[in-house]
Amino acid sequence: MELYEKNAWELSEMLKSKEISSAELTRSVFDRIKSVEDKVDAYLTLNEENAIETASEIDKKRLAGDQLSDLAGIPVGIKDNISTKGLRTTCASKMLENYVPPFNATVMDKMTNAGAVITGKLNMDEFAMGSSTENSYFKPTRNPFDTERIPGGSSGGSAASVAACEAVVSLGSDTGGSIRQPASYCGVVGLKPTYGSVSRYGLVAFASSLDQIGPLGRCVKDVAMVQSVIAGHDGMDATSAYREYPDYAAALNADIDGLRIGLPKEYFGEGIDPFVKQSVLNAVKEMEKQGAVVKEISLPSTDYALSSYYIISSAEASSNLARYDGVRYGFRAENYDGLVDMYERTRSEGFGDEVKRRIMLGTFVLSSGFYDAYYKKAKLLQRRILGEFTSQFRDVDVIATPTVPTTAFKIGENTDDPLKMYATDICTVTVNIAGLPAISVPCAYDEKGLPAGLQLIGNKFTEQTLLNAAYAYECISGGFRKPEL
Amino acid sequence: MNIDIRHIAKLARLRIEDDQLEKFESEMQNIVNMVEKLPDIDDEMTLDENNPMKLREDVICEEKLTRQELMQNAPKVKAGCLVVPKTVE
Amino acid sequence: MVKGYEVVIGLEVHAELNTDSKIYCSCKNQFGLEVNSQVCPICMGMPGTLPTLNKKVVDYAIRMGHALNCSINRVCKQDRKNYFYPDLPKAYQISQAEVPLCENGYVDILVDGEERRIGVTRIHIEEDAGKLLHSDKFDGVSLVDLNRCGVPLIEIVSEPDMRSSKEAHVYLETLKSILQYLGICDCKMQEGSIRCDVNVSVHKPGEPMGTRSEMKNVNSFSAAVRGIDYEVERQISVLEAGGTIVQETRRWDDVKGISTSMRSKEDAQDYRYFPEPDLLTIVVEQERVDELKATIPELPNIKILRYVKEFGLNIKDATFIAESVELAGFFDACMAKGRFGAKCYTTWILGELVKFMNETGKTLADTKLTPENLTDLAEVIENKTISNAGGKKVFAVILNEDKPVAEIIKEQGLAQVSDDSVLEKIADEVLAANEKSVNDYKGGKTNALGYLVGQCMKASKGKANPGKMKEIILKKIGE
Repeated sequence: MELYEKNAWELSEMLKSKEISSAELTRSVFDRIKSVEDKVDAYLTLNEENAIETASEIDKKRLAGDQLSDLAGIPVGIKDNISTKGLRTTCASKMLENYVPPFNATVMDKMTNAGAVITGKLNMDEFAMGSSTENSYFKPTRNPFDTERIPGGSSGGSAASVAACEAVVSLGSDTGGSIRQPASYCGVVGLKPTYGSVSRYGLVAFASSLDQIGPLGRCVKDVAMVQSVIAGHDGMDATSAYREYPDYAAALNADIDGLRIGLPKEYFGEGIDPFVKQSVLNAVKEMEKQGAVVKEISLPSTDYALSSYYIISSAEASSNLARYDGVRYGFRAENYDGLVDMYERTRSEGFGDEVKRRIMLGTFVLSSGFYDAYYKKAKLLQRRILGEFTSQFRDVDVIATPTVPTTAFKIGENTDDPLKMYATDICTVTVNIAGLPAISVPCAYDEKGLPAGLQLIGNKFTEQTLLNAAYAYECISGGFRKPEL
Repeated sequence: MNIDIRHIAKLARLRIEDDQLEKFESEMQNIVNMVEKLPDIDDEMTLDENNPMKLREDVICEEKLTRQELMQNAPKVKAGCLVVPKTVE
Repeated sequence: MVKGYEVVIGLEVHAELNTDSKIYCSCKNQFGLEVNSQVCPICMGMPGTLPTLNKKVVDYAIRMGHALNCSINRVCKQDRKNYFYPDLPKAYQISQAEVPLCENGYVDILVDGEERRIGVTRIHIEEDAGKLLHSDKFDGVSLVDLNRCGVPLIEIVSEPDMRSSKEAHVYLETLKSILQYLGICDCKMQEGSIRCDVNVSVHKPGEPMGTRSEMKNVNSFSAAVRGIDYEVERQISVLEAGGTIVQETRRWDDVKGISTSMRSKEDAQDYRYFPEPDLLTIVVEQERVDELKATIPELPNIKILRYVKEFGLNIKDATFIAESVELAGFFDACMAKGRFGAKCYTTWILGELVKFMNETGKTLADTKLTPENLTDLAEVIENKTISNAGGKKVFAVILNEDKPVAEIIKEQGLAQVSDDSVLEKIADEVLAANEKSVNDYKGGKTNALGYLVGQCMKASKGKANPGKMKEIILKKIGE
């Protein structure tokens, strides 16, 4: 087995025992990138030189006997909407094609302090708006299980790179399912943490009240390891939660005896592919065999979640993306006549169609005369959705659902129908609306060999419960299967 | 609900070319039709007193980036300032 | 009333708070530094940056709320006001829309001796924008300086309660002195630390309120007066000519002395306010609100009324002293001694002290004057140890030197001679040498007495107690 194929926790052990060096491991990952990247197209920017340098420094520190974190020396890929000082951060947009942040996101400071080796910046849907990574200005990323198919989105590069072993673990961001949905399509594990548990400082904002950075990996333990590093209160993010955060990886255990699992009937209805539905039910049955207690529940407002999500996220996006005006950074149109024309041409030439659609939807729902009918209604519904979850969490510990209604679709299949594309988020958006944590773990492969994911949703700040449940299931199912590339 | 795409685009400082207008109009109409499904909730938004914000102490941060570092991404700079087309107001 | 019309004025005053750091980032809040030198990724609105609210801004705004008798919304939020302009890096201003920190207050002002109560609708916190620099050197472009981005502001919105430009002016001066009293704003007009927008309408008595226009770019209080007067005249002439007033935003040009239309109601901006998702609810404990209330000193508008009512000062003097934090503090401390009446102190303060301050540009704090040494001085004048002229000499010394009054008198030999035997000896000598004047006096020329007293004073080198001297002369030539 090649080094690049191994899981982070195994590699961490090998590095600690000095069986391997980080430089060696990093080179192995870059060799892998060289051999498969042209099939996958996961990366927008590679950071090879710096990565090797960091790896060698970590190796030196280790030889010197320094106390290092579990993540020290592990190659990690970063979604291209997370600000990396001195390393181009494009959000997969023409608007930021040449933008180099002069500062690090808080998570990047944490990763760097932990000794993580940054492999490069990963492809995504432009400004994280999309479900297939086809909305990248630069190129679509391909699903390693079938390169004719989409890897999901918006963190498509984050999921595909991990599945293709082009990174050991990665960071993504999740506003309506953008970590979990591609994790499901690419057969990897993805955690969307509780809103406020990971600092958003330096994450280029899409929808501020929903965005959350989280880890993707080939196994639950790897995801727990990264989450232990990135979680924590941050004085730079006013929405960051002030509390103690456990070492999730150290506390990981597979005992689910007595775990109460809720199955919400609204997530297993029309529109869910029968194979996906059956796979999730089978997975839950396996967990029941291990001592979990399963109960059918109801979350009646689920039907309205998608509408509520698109109103809130687009409203916030219309405001968050207004700063791209060609004045302080980013693209500026070449020819213009006066200030307003410069704004309009810059923004029209710099943004892709999906971003424009969301900006216009968001502008519309906030505009004079429509605020109450759209935005306010959506916010009231958000409160109701959270209320329904909260009351269910009195009776259950986790809620199990499909992550996505289907397995991965073909590139180009849904690009002409925004609504069909939006519908792929149906199982994931409620979690963001309610600010809850959720994890997607691979649970089955269809007849084409395409993975499907099981989503486990927990109450706020119960990441440990989710990770333990996912870990228990992974132990039963055998977890990640490497795709043929 | 009919949407005045031109007005919305103007508010958002986006240019919609004539040949794209129809496409955007129908797409937006479909999206708005979808989001209009929301039920009426007879209630008011309240402020969450139980989740108060931690405020920052009034202290100046001495460690700072240089103007050069902060302006390195700017499309046009002159005399230490950002440059924009002449404003009337 | 102007030409048979009633005038209705409301003001929106923006005051920059003098905190150390900016409202949403830790950049230095200071005027006049090199362009784009006081900026960071946050106030430049770089992708991914987030605001964190400065605690002192909330404290300062609550104190102003208390000073203006507002109710404090100790649970409130912030909102985004969206519009595009090169001086606004995020393309939205973080402000407060629905729930301001303070609302429903009032301030009592004194206009022509009459007390007027002006309603305060609300006070909210928000961030200032940057500055656009225009120069003929740079053809066809404007330059953007972002130093001012994120400077904390409070916006104080009044009710349309003012009826003349004079009332508006007194209201503005009152707000300014309150801000100074609280020490929360530098109030440097030339640096733009207080700015205002003016809303004006006119109507015939007994008729409903007229349509209002809003005037921006009013950069001084005197400009506000000129702008209001211009706008009132303009509206009346439009109405008199049979026209109607349109609701619009106008721009005041103080150099030309005219306002011009900026935009009409139809193309009014749609700011698309919505709750700022990057910030949580502001929750101030009731205890803290009360604590801040206890820090509010007696305010100038209240002081003026007290000086007039209790101490009998005229409004002009009362206003002059009350509007200066340091003069009022000094005057109050003097009065607290309970030794002399107000007149005694105001004579010194408004006379010699203000003259000194005007001539030297110094402030009271730059002098060595204290309520104690000034009272000592009043004492020695009252008991005739020194003359009034001697008093002025002593005052000139205690402005600059920390020296007891008695010592100064001794050093400069200012003590008056009141000893009868000494004075009688002087009188005898002067009378003997001025027989003609003595006879003149006896012949009915009473002004000869003044000459004789003057000669005695001269002979005593000014040290004789003039009252006593006069008594003795009278006694002698009356004999």
